[in-house]
Amino acid sequence: MHSNGFFLNDVAGFLGGYYAFIAIMNGIAALVLWRKKDAGTWAFVWSVFAGVMMIFASLALSGSKSMVPILPEAIRGLVNNLSGPVLYTLGTTGILVVLYVFRKFFVQPMVAWTVLNVSLLLLGLSMADENFAAIVMKPDNVPIVGLVYLLAFFTWVATKQAVVNDERIKQGLPVMEKVNDEKVLVWPDLVYTELICMIAVSALLLVWAIFLPAPLEEPASSVKTPNPSKAPWYFLGLQEMLVYFDPWYAGVVLPSLVVFGLMAMPYLDFNKKGNGYYSIEERKFSYLVWQFGFFELWITLIILGTFLRGPNWNFFGPFEYWTPYKVEVLNNVDLPQMFWVQWMDQPLPRAPQDAGVLSQIGYILFREAPGLLIMGAYLVVLPPLMAVTIFRRFYAKMGFIRYMVMSNLMLLMLTLPLKMALRWTLNLKYIISIPEFSLNF
Amino acid sequence: MAEKKKMSVADILAAARADKQSVAESEKPATESKTEAPDAGVNELPASEPPASATKPAASKPASSGRPSVQEMLAMARAGKGNPASEPKATPKPAAKQPSAKKTATAKPVAVDGAKKNVQRDTASILAAARSGAKPGPVSKAEAPALTKPTAKPVAKKVTKAPSRPVPPRPIREKQEKSSKAAVADDRRGFLSYTVGSFMAVGFTALSATGGLFSLGLARFFFPNVLAEPPSRFKVGSKEGFPSGVVETKFVAQYGVWVVNADFEGIQQIYALKTVCTHLGCTPNWLEAEQKFKCPCHGSGFYKDGINFEGPAPRPLERYAISIADDGQLEIDKSKSFQEELGQWNDPASYVTA
Repeated sequence: MHSNGFFLNDVAGFLGGYYAFIAIMNGIAALVLWRKKDAGTWAFVWSVFAGVMMIFASLALSGSKSMVPILPEAIRGLVNNLSGPVLYTLGTTGILVVLYVFRKFFVQPMVAWTVLNVSLLLLGLSMADENFAAIVMKPDNVPIVGLVYLLAFFTWVATKQAVVNDERIKQGLPVMEKVNDEKVLVWPDLVYTELICMIAVSALLLVWAIFLPAPLEEPASSVKTPNPSKAPWYFLGLQEMLVYFDPWYAGVVLPSLVVFGLMAMPYLDFNKKGNGYYSIEERKFSYLVWQFGFFELWITLIILGTFLRGPNWNFFGPFEYWTPYKVEVLNNVDLPQMFWVQWMDQPLPRAPQDAGVLSQIGYILFREAPGLLIMGAYLVVLPPLMAVTIFRRFYAKMGFIRYMVMSNLMLLMLTLPLKMALRWTLNLKYIISIPEFSLNF
Repeated sequence: MAEKKKMSVADILAAARADKQSVAESEKPATESKTEAPDAGVNELPASEPPASATKPAASKPASSGRPSVQEMLAMARAGKGNPASEPKATPKPAAKQPSAKKTATAKPVAVDGAKKNVQRDTASILAAARSGAKPGPVSKAEAPALTKPTAKPVAKKVTKAPSRPVPPRPIREKQEKSSKAAVADDRRGFLSYTVGSFMAVGFTALSATGGLFSLGLARFFFPNVLAEPPSRFKVGSKEGFPSGVVETKFVAQYGVWVVNADFEGIQQIYALKTVCTHLGCTPNWLEAEQKFKCPCHGSGFYKDGINFEGPAPRPLERYAISIADDGQLEIDKSKSFQEELGQWNDPASYVTA
């Protein structure tokens, strides 16, 4: 893909500094742990790890491509062969579930440090692969790598505080936020901190802009679309949603509903607990719904869109070469086609040529009857059904209107994963398909 | 102090209004003994004399317009609220918070003890004072009792003990309907407001006139004299240039059209496909090896005849009108398009039989 010169200058050079950084990071960690006196074993482990990283750094800077540490070819091939949208979605869901269920284990500092080191090491070993490096080191994509780590860190911090608080609540102690409610002054404490942050961020942006300049491309043309054509990184979740829906739904209705739902959240929430302090146990429902919507339906889709969608919006493994000629069988059919032609074995109901507007609409509604029935049942029958079954307690506490708003927002949010699953399993394109009026769902 | 902070806006206003009346009544005593007031403002507020803080707004700005500033209203409201309920702890802290009491180092009433000495106040000492036990800022629950202990006297007395400075007495303006025009005209300032008002009128008239002209100019901008667009009707050569089964892509860059010679529903025809994906309007690419149009944005795929078969595109690509011109060349008209889902591809204007 690239010449050796590019690789040695850019990637291997970067990897040398990268491994050295990991080594220094772990050396400092080992020193801190050593001074604590009771963590000698961990201090030893991390100092050994730092030594190994130092060796990796010198190998990466050796100037010979074959010396750069890299993931074995067999593993890369296996990952490429296994990866696909289905496995990616199921895998990320599985990882998030494991992180949630065993959160008490993962919030331990040493466990988190191990996970961080392993992920950094895997990233470095993968970056020695030229295809992977070309994607990850693209100036557009660097912030998304940073985003993944930043998000993981902040989630970890919040989860740790929530776990501590949950434990204290169980023992009948006040939460940490109540114990340490020491406050500081806006001036000078906060303003000074903000000033320092401002200067640091400005410096970072300057350095970033110098070393990773935005790519300049040819003038835009309405008849020339870059391949792959990607939205800004924060919209890649939207772009992935658009693969499964008509633009009016995934581009207009769902994003508006996201904003509306975020605004409605405080009014729907009847749980008085967890106000002003971190807690998971006391707000399990809110926590899980939020994390599902944010991580599963937004962040993982951004990562998928950034790193794993290549030319023609095909799915590519992380170590796969992005060829525009990759052939993937993605044929899909609408539900009416499926229902009338495949299952009922008769042609689609179609209005005669000279039919009036009303009779044409009648034919269209008849053709779309199965889809309309399914969606009607989903949005009209399901909420009351849930009110008397799984959400009985919620309905009693929230009242009719609030419950209806909440259940409909939840059901509309769930249309995305459901539609994805239907596309993968049944090759279903649209449940309701009225191209005559640009109404597809 | 928690309940102190929770005073709603309505409470503050109500308290301020109640206080304003009492200020108006007690204006004379306030003006007579005003000498002490500035000192009280600059120095530490004596704890034994909490009324100083309470009446200061009235004294420092003795009803010049009959309407206190927002800060004063707030101060009065804070003092006034402690009044009926006789909550003594209310007074010391608001006094310290007043911005007009220039950086009064602390509100700690114990330390000051009535002596009016001019303390040199540099930043370091203010910070030191702020960092030490008595914070003027947020107070945690643990600190609250210490602050509230040295209770000042209830504010009820403030009217009698108000310190102030002699000032030429002003006529007390009785409440009148100020909104009526007559009242404005009587006032000497009526002239001012009249002229300013007319200036405003002139200004806004000019502004709206300019805005209107600008909008007209902007509207004209959308109808340029010259359109730098390729013509919507153009010729692409004779039929023989388009052999069977070939998708001609050389007109994409200039005209945004594929010219295809292929079989559609049993008829061998030449048609012009619009290079706009029916999903979100990107330009698909023709992949010769796979014999399909493939959109780079969301992966929609179309057969050679323009029918959608993969990805999210909800309907087939559109056709432009095509015909044979007088000179025998194929002529494409981009002003008309034909959609398959509306049954328009049966229209003979949408294709030329090969």
